[in-house]
Amino acid sequence: MLLRALRPGGTVPVTLLCLGYGGFALLPAGSAVAMGLLVDRVRQASGAPAVWLPALALFVGTVLAGHLIDAALEPLRYLVRARVNGSHRATVAALVAGAPTVAVLERPAVQDLIRTASGDPQSWTEQTPGDGAVAQVGVLARWLAAASAAAVLVVFAWWLVPLLAVPALASRAIRRRDLLRVVRVWAHGAGDGRRADYWKRTVLSPSTGKEQRVYGFGDWAVAQVLTAVRAMYGPIWATTLRVQRSGAASALLMLLPLTVAYAAVTVAVVDGRTPVGVQVAVFLAGLGVYVALGPTWDALETEGALRVMAAAEQLRDVLAPVHRRPATAPVAPRNGRPPLVTFEDVGFGYPGTGRTVLDGLDLHIRPGEMLALVGLNGAGKSTLTKLLAGLYEPTAGRIRADGVDLRDVGLPRWRDQLAVVFQDFVRYELPMADNVTLGRASVPPDPVARDRAAAEAGLAEVLARLPDGWATPLSRGRSGGVDLSGGQWQKVALARALYAVHTGARILVLDEPTAHLDVRSEAELFDRLRDRPAGVTVVLISHRLATVRRSDRIVLLDGGRVAESGHHDDLIRLDGRYARMFRTQAERFRPGHPDRVDV
Amino acid sequence: MRRYPGLWWRLFRLSFRARPGVAVAALTCRLLSLVTVPATGLALSWAVNASGAGLRSTALVGAAAAALAYTLNATVEGVGHGLGLVVVDRTGLLLLEPEILGEICGIDGLDHLERSDYLDRVSTLDRAAWGLVAAAWNALDSLVNLARLGIVLALLGTVTPYLTLLLVFAAVPLWFDVRGRRVLTRTELATAEDDRLQRHLFDLATRAAPGGEIRVAGAASDLVRRQARAWRNVHDARFRAQLVSAAWRAGAWTVFTLGFAGALALVILRADRAQGTVGDVVLAVSVATTVRGLVQQTVAKSAQTAESGVLVEPYLWLRRYAAEARGGEAGHRAAPRRLTDGISLVDLTYRYPGTGRNALDGVTVHLPAGSVTAVVGEYGSGKTTLVKLLCGFHRPDGGRILVDGVDLAGLDTRGWWRRMAVAFQDFGRYQAPFREAVGLGEPGDLADDDRIRAAVRAAGADDLLDRLPQGLSTPLGRDFGGVELSEGQWQKTALARACMRRSPLLFVLDEPTASLDAPSERAVFDRYLRRARDAAGDAGAITLIVSHRFATVADADLILVLDGGRLAEAGNHDELIAAGGRYAALHAVSTRGYATTSGPPPPATPAR
Repeated sequence: MLLRALRPGGTVPVTLLCLGYGGFALLPAGSAVAMGLLVDRVRQASGAPAVWLPALALFVGTVLAGHLIDAALEPLRYLVRARVNGSHRATVAALVAGAPTVAVLERPAVQDLIRTASGDPQSWTEQTPGDGAVAQVGVLARWLAAASAAAVLVVFAWWLVPLLAVPALASRAIRRRDLLRVVRVWAHGAGDGRRADYWKRTVLSPSTGKEQRVYGFGDWAVAQVLTAVRAMYGPIWATTLRVQRSGAASALLMLLPLTVAYAAVTVAVVDGRTPVGVQVAVFLAGLGVYVALGPTWDALETEGALRVMAAAEQLRDVLAPVHRRPATAPVAPRNGRPPLVTFEDVGFGYPGTGRTVLDGLDLHIRPGEMLALVGLNGAGKSTLTKLLAGLYEPTAGRIRADGVDLRDVGLPRWRDQLAVVFQDFVRYELPMADNVTLGRASVPPDPVARDRAAAEAGLAEVLARLPDGWATPLSRGRSGGVDLSGGQWQKVALARALYAVHTGARILVLDEPTAHLDVRSEAELFDRLRDRPAGVTVVLISHRLATVRRSDRIVLLDGGRVAESGHHDDLIRLDGRYARMFRTQAERFRPGHPDRVDV
Repeated sequence: MRRYPGLWWRLFRLSFRARPGVAVAALTCRLLSLVTVPATGLALSWAVNASGAGLRSTALVGAAAAALAYTLNATVEGVGHGLGLVVVDRTGLLLLEPEILGEICGIDGLDHLERSDYLDRVSTLDRAAWGLVAAAWNALDSLVNLARLGIVLALLGTVTPYLTLLLVFAAVPLWFDVRGRRVLTRTELATAEDDRLQRHLFDLATRAAPGGEIRVAGAASDLVRRQARAWRNVHDARFRAQLVSAAWRAGAWTVFTLGFAGALALVILRADRAQGTVGDVVLAVSVATTVRGLVQQTVAKSAQTAESGVLVEPYLWLRRYAAEARGGEAGHRAAPRRLTDGISLVDLTYRYPGTGRNALDGVTVHLPAGSVTAVVGEYGSGKTTLVKLLCGFHRPDGGRILVDGVDLAGLDTRGWWRRMAVAFQDFGRYQAPFREAVGLGEPGDLADDDRIRAAVRAAGADDLLDRLPQGLSTPLGRDFGGVELSEGQWQKTALARACMRRSPLLFVLDEPTASLDAPSERAVFDRYLRRARDAAGDAGAITLIVSHRFATVADADLILVLDGGRLAEAGNHDELIAAGGRYAALHAVSTRGYATTSGPPPPATPAR
């Protein structure tokens, strides 16, 4: 599986990598032989360099090859790792981004899967697929190195092979187990580690730093850090110390067999049964068996990589059913007119909460109207917009556009008609221009529509202050970039949605679009919305009834369904819940009123 | 650089205090590693010579010594490294980190958390404690490695002085390795921005929260493409740097190997002429082949030690800065037990370092004891700066704040804080049990559930508490699997925290309600107005309410309108409306939609 993961590395680099590792693996045995040969030749020769020069050349050749291969392997490893990881990350990103709804992404189990599958190590215990794939080649090379060293031993006596290889393997198994044990203890402490980081950030952040000073809980927060650190590291330290003791003890598995082997060959040389060259070769090759099987770090890399790849595989299984539902409805000619949207007996509850948010909701959103959604917190206003955007599917009833069920329209085609300002809009750390044109990524960037949207969203004055205009990245972390304030970002989000409208979206949904704006900007925005181009439906969510009253129609949601609907004047005349809410709000803006109802 | 040895020495002493036994063992392993390589060479040469000469027992001792030396060589370093890690962890995380965090917390001002040049240093220190101690041990390892290299070369010199020439050849790779490494570091820095971008885009493409907007806009595939491009930019550049560095190294080691081959030929010639032995050849070879590893380790450890400069400088800066802050002319007077006169701002002026404009500019006003004062103004008008000066986070550049006639600068800052309660706009959302999230407002009362419940009641958060599944013990926040609160609930928690102080002299609400809609904000303020008037009695406490909304503060005794750092208007609601100035105009905008007649709406934008 890990070797298959090498494929994105490219044929040439991977072949070179394998050759490099293979060559490197043969060197210890090779240099043991060359060294033995050299020693024998030196003993034979007397004043004739021709006898030992070839052996010297052979030996120097192995040394030089070792240096050169080692130097070459570094960039090769890097390249293969980067390519494997790049391909893996691109696949995961495309897989997740391709899921048409977000409901499945919100499941904590799926979020964990994504975290693991992203292959972005947060600590030394986590590895990438590239690490694992390269390490797997390394593991194979290890076996080759051990086998070739063992082959040299056979020259003297076959029984040296089991004598050295069995304890060497046992020692490797022990150390491998110990390493993975430390990794497990580490992973186990991750929760406490995050807690320590959390309280550390609390001390270091300017906002909580203010509270921490006035309230004087600095010492308390530091104590929290210490408690979490002890909880995380206590077991780690204990295990690490135990592992060092076991490492020291397993040295006996090397010392005793090596002593026996060295003694045996030495006795043979003293007795004249074996040349000194063989003794040198056995000394070096015997060591070579242990050196080859020594390092166990690659176990960590392969195991870690397998975890990442298994998570990606699971993620694929989880996301597969939600992918690809083909659009079945024929494309109806639009003529730029927004569709009539109907919610029919729609019911919905967020998965895993057991709470019903929408319940038997019937609603028409008429082409070209400005519809305001009002209601108390939790009435389901934002949820309704999310269903409208196809981010969730209704658990009961259906939503139709011009009579066709949204599921049959096909989500990409449906969303092409939408522009939405969500409450938690996205802050792209990209140039300002991209921040606006990503409002509708399906069409090539249109500078004219972009400028118009910017002007309408009140973005012009923000833009004027940017050092590089449209090209300025909106993040201080990028060169020449700047950070925007909450209010400025809100204008960017508005411009983004308006850009989508100017490039063809027909339904504009605004969910509390002015939460960060001051009074003046808010008033200006609503005037513009009322003067919007014909042929665009606007759905507006706002708490401010003074703003909302000027909409074509106001819909009050309550208990998951439409409670009242009509023009402001009608609803005031009706003297129902809306009228009460409006009066309450109006009251709050007069001094000296009694405190009656919390909105 | 000159201060470094002193720092390393101090960190070593800390290390030996943290876990003496383990530290001694780690040090012993390092000392042992000094001799294991020469020992292998000597033992090998001994065994070979004695075997060749037919000396059975001597040869056997040599063979056993070789086995022992190899085993030690293979074990000591790993064990020493493992033991060293434990010492570094314990010293860094249990001793040095609390010291650093304590220094940061202990500085009364806020400059070190706000000014970007300071903040860069402080945020580096976030993970510095471990790194600093590790750097001290790295420095030791560099020394040990240099010593090993020296011993190895000296041993070769005993075979024939010519072999010491290898020192020259070893210097070539040492120098080339450093060069190659520098190329890598430079490229890493140069591509860091694209790497961050790549991460950011991956995050956007795979997280649920931004997923909605990205899907509606059809931006997903675009983001995936951009992520892949940024990834390629980063790694293409870094691969090229790797190639350059590999070329340097290949060249360097070729030079070294040729030098080594020459030296080896010399040794063999000497053996040939019976000036040396075969054992010498074996010794020279077995020892010289370890030189590469030693050089690479030496370079790596020295590079790590040198990199620690990015931690050492901020650390030394912090110690200096904290010492200066402690030694500054801080006041020592205690805060008054109760306010009789009030707080006077006299020609108060402040400018943030590095900016070209006064954030507060000559503000003079008196806040009477027991009053409720509202500060209104648009973004950037100086409201928050005023609050920070009142908190003593910054010292005024001009003018004074007088608390019952005493300059705030003359008061002991911590004592003043103990008589303040503040709910900030960017209040903390503490991922802790509800008890602690509230009780932190008065850490001394953390164990007093009755006191905490009283604060919860005072903040009108009883309904929230009732709904929490485990009452006061309910863990809050998603980070650690607690109950996630809505914005409004977090904010009630923050207000409850502000209510923990028993008798504050100054109670500040610095827009903790900014994310609420105006009517809800007003409801919160109303509650505090009443509470403030109830509580003001005994201590003469002043309540200060800050808002960018002009319509929500109408009931305050005194309304201050700030504009561009200056006090534009001051008075109560009726006076300001009558004055027909800025306050009146903006109040009209905020309320215009609520006219009870249903005629056409008034014009949108008020005349400035």
